[in-house]
Amino acid sequence: MKVSKKIVLLGHFGVGKSSLIRRFVENTFSDNYKVTIGVHIFKKNVTIPEKNTDVSLVIWDLEGNDDINNTRLSYLLGTHAFIYVYDVTRPATYENLESEINFLKEKHKNTSITVVGNKEDLVTKAYLKQNNEDFGKLTDLYISAKTGNKVDFLFSNLAGSLI
Amino acid sequence: MLDIYKEKYTKAVLQYSILDINGTILESDNGLFLDFKNNYIGDIHPFFETLIPLLPLKENETIFSCIHLNIEEKTITADIILQTFNDGKNPLLIIHDLTKHYNNYQTTAQVRNESVINSQILELKNTYLKEKESFKNTFIANFSHELRDPLTGILTFTDILGKTNLDNNQKDYLKVLSSSSTFLKKMIDDILDISKIESGKLELSIEPFNFLELLNEIKFNYKLKAEQKGLEFNYNFDEKLPKILGGDSKRLRQVLTNLLDNAVKFTNTGSINFNVSLNQIRAQKASVHFEITDTGIGIKEEKIKDIFTSFTQVNSEDTFKGTGLGLAIVKYLVELTNSKISVTSEYGKGSTFSTNINFIANSSLAVSEKEVNETVIFNGSRKYNILLVENSEITQLSVLKILASQGHFFLDIMTNPEEVLARISNYDSEVDLVLMDINLTEQKGDEIAKRIRKLPERHQRKVPIVAVTARVFKEDLKAYKKAGINDVLKKPFNENQLLEIIAKNLK
Repeated sequence: MKVSKKIVLLGHFGVGKSSLIRRFVENTFSDNYKVTIGVHIFKKNVTIPEKNTDVSLVIWDLEGNDDINNTRLSYLLGTHAFIYVYDVTRPATYENLESEINFLKEKHKNTSITVVGNKEDLVTKAYLKQNNEDFGKLTDLYISAKTGNKVDFLFSNLAGSLI
Repeated sequence: MLDIYKEKYTKAVLQYSILDINGTILESDNGLFLDFKNNYIGDIHPFFETLIPLLPLKENETIFSCIHLNIEEKTITADIILQTFNDGKNPLLIIHDLTKHYNNYQTTAQVRNESVINSQILELKNTYLKEKESFKNTFIANFSHELRDPLTGILTFTDILGKTNLDNNQKDYLKVLSSSSTFLKKMIDDILDISKIESGKLELSIEPFNFLELLNEIKFNYKLKAEQKGLEFNYNFDEKLPKILGGDSKRLRQVLTNLLDNAVKFTNTGSINFNVSLNQIRAQKASVHFEITDTGIGIKEEKIKDIFTSFTQVNSEDTFKGTGLGLAIVKYLVELTNSKISVTSEYGKGSTFSTNINFIANSSLAVSEKEVNETVIFNGSRKYNILLVENSEITQLSVLKILASQGHFFLDIMTNPEEVLARISNYDSEVDLVLMDINLTEQKGDEIAKRIRKLPERHQRKVPIVAVTARVFKEDLKAYKKAGINDVLKKPFNENQLLEIIAKNLK
């Protein structure tokens, strides 16, 4: 059986949304920052063996925005899951995390939201622990698009949860 | 003709397609892409796959702006409009190629975002550096503080040992011990000063002081030091210099002694000149010019810029020991007076350091003629009860030895706050003065002082309290004053300093 699921990545600019997708889809990474404008759409099939299902993940890489309110509503139509990405090294990208997530939950009551802290390779575990109050409590996963740490896990786990 | 031109130069930017509600392309005008017709739209690009659930919608227009598409090896950025109808007509899909427009926007966004991210990263780096700096300064302050207790012991017992019967060899050993511990104390003071400077905690006080006496005292000490090294010491103090000035005499002494120490240290033959002259007195401010010249080893031109930097020793030979902090401290202290220090030097021939410092010059300024360094003598047969609240055994022993040598004191030593309060409340034997360490284990010294100040009997709660501590930052001193502490004896201290402060505070 094959199903298609739309996943939308949200978050501030420069947090590594495009890098995260590129790591997952192409298994590549570049340090060069290229701003995303509008939206890039990628597709990757994930097999969920325990459910004997292939999931076609259509991943929307949205341009970064420092206010989720400014996201074009049409991009979010028919979304099955959101991945909210912030950069663990830049407070500006997580200082409004709670209100951004609450806004999403309110507007998209039936859509799952996974919160990930990217660039975990740049900080220590102690740093993540120290910042538990700021972002730790809301975070589902710390990942690194650069090293690939937990990236496959993030998407395959999400795909499994959508079936 | 126009039609020919239009046909030749018009570039298609739109493609119209009609789909059925399952996503099969029924018709397409091939405006941008050729192979749309009869294909399932989801196979053309993943973007269209997500449109399928929207196809059965009734009368609706959905616009997707700035969608990046890669179709038939052609990459475009387009706005895509999906129009559905409620009268049974099939959905219409319009692709509007706006690549050029969005490419321009991309360039602007790239510059803007990079600039924002870079400034955020810079701000973070600054915060990180500040935190690191603050940690370093706190560490140095604490570390220096910990060194002061054992150093108090060394200095005190060196003094005491000097007063016992020693043979000539022992006197020589003691001299080395004494100069080494004094040098160590100077280095610790320098390190602490630099940490205060770097954390912005060092401030100048302005109090009247006997300027001429300070100059003469410095001249006397350095003439002796220079002559001991076989150097000529010349001085010239302007006759017009005022006797009393308002300023920070301790820090002025530090500036001059640092410069003179350097002059003596780096000069092996020749002379040292110490000149002080009055530039002017105007609006109750005196500008004084200080100049120290030596015929020492000099500084290479390319090194001059480094000499005022912390931990820099331009002459790294082992013969010239030190922390390399002296000139950094001098520069900072001079700058605190809104002045500058300048240096001219010729390598191999010598250096001249000069500065102009402003002081308050007011005829109403006066200082008590009773100055420090006066020998303290406790006359008569009266004995005083001193209570020492201190948990460092070295300090306990130092105070005990010093006071015992005077024969005028009974000393109680305690560390427990309850015992301290009970001792002061004892009617049979009144305490005349409390020497209070601050960094105590069970309760901080200033907290105990607060409790003493609340005792019911007037003479008990009014007992003079002298803090004995190495923590003498401005905010510490404020806290001690607030706790009712009368005076502060800074660790490490010597015999004279202890006796002086006791004499000053005894009723």
